[in-house]
Amino acid sequence: MAAALLRSAGLLAVWIVIGGADPKDLAVGIPTAAIATWFSLRLLPAGMFRPRPLALAGLLLRFPVQALLAGTEVARRAFDLRVQPGLVRYVRISPSPRRDAFLTWASLQPGTLPAGEDEATGAVLVHALDTSQLVHDSMVIEEARFTRAFGG
Amino acid sequence: MSLLADAFTVVAVLAGLFFLAAGTLGLLRFPDPLSRLHALTKADGLGLGLIVLGLMPQAGSLLGALKLLLIWALAMFAGGTVGQMIARVARRDAS
Repeated sequence: MAAALLRSAGLLAVWIVIGGADPKDLAVGIPTAAIATWFSLRLLPAGMFRPRPLALAGLLLRFPVQALLAGTEVARRAFDLRVQPGLVRYVRISPSPRRDAFLTWASLQPGTLPAGEDEATGAVLVHALDTSQLVHDSMVIEEARFTRAFGG
Repeated sequence: MSLLADAFTVVAVLAGLFFLAAGTLGLLRFPDPLSRLHALTKADGLGLGLIVLGLMPQAGSLLGALKLLLIWALAMFAGGTVGQMIARVARRDAS
């Protein structure tokens, strides 16, 4: 119940940011947020993530910095074309919604782009622009940060 | 104050345009489809982020500024999820 209230409040806030808080907008926004909450709870049942507010805030505040580093790195390589692309295997977590969430996060971090699983072994294949960098280690560190923020 | 905000907007939007151009350059120059996805998800994401940051002082209200920020968040989220899906298909096609 608490999860439903929290999610519907969050989704309604998103609606207000997009559509405004006019009563005639809210007449559509409140039922929409309720339906979105229902879908949200079906797709991601309550309790699957247990976010820790402080660690989560830290992770979110770090995101723009990481986006800056990631974008700058790609831009630099686009100009001097010093790339050594390749796939790196990452096997630390088993398939779950938590892994999918982490991989989405990892795809926005500097240098890494998860590219699905190796069909034979189930390992995640991470594409890197420069395989001479410590790609696996940076994924391990990022996963630890992600786990601290979302629990599990 | 308004002059300062305007100067900030011009600098941030120009920086954003630079990264969008760099992303396009990467798209054209990188050697394989997976590397090109890096250019699209990361350099373009940063470019859009800087343009959003630059436009925020011009939004006129807190709600308007939050709306811009939300657009960036949604674009990054979509880039993060769709980028992986395209990467998966591109890798299977290549192997």
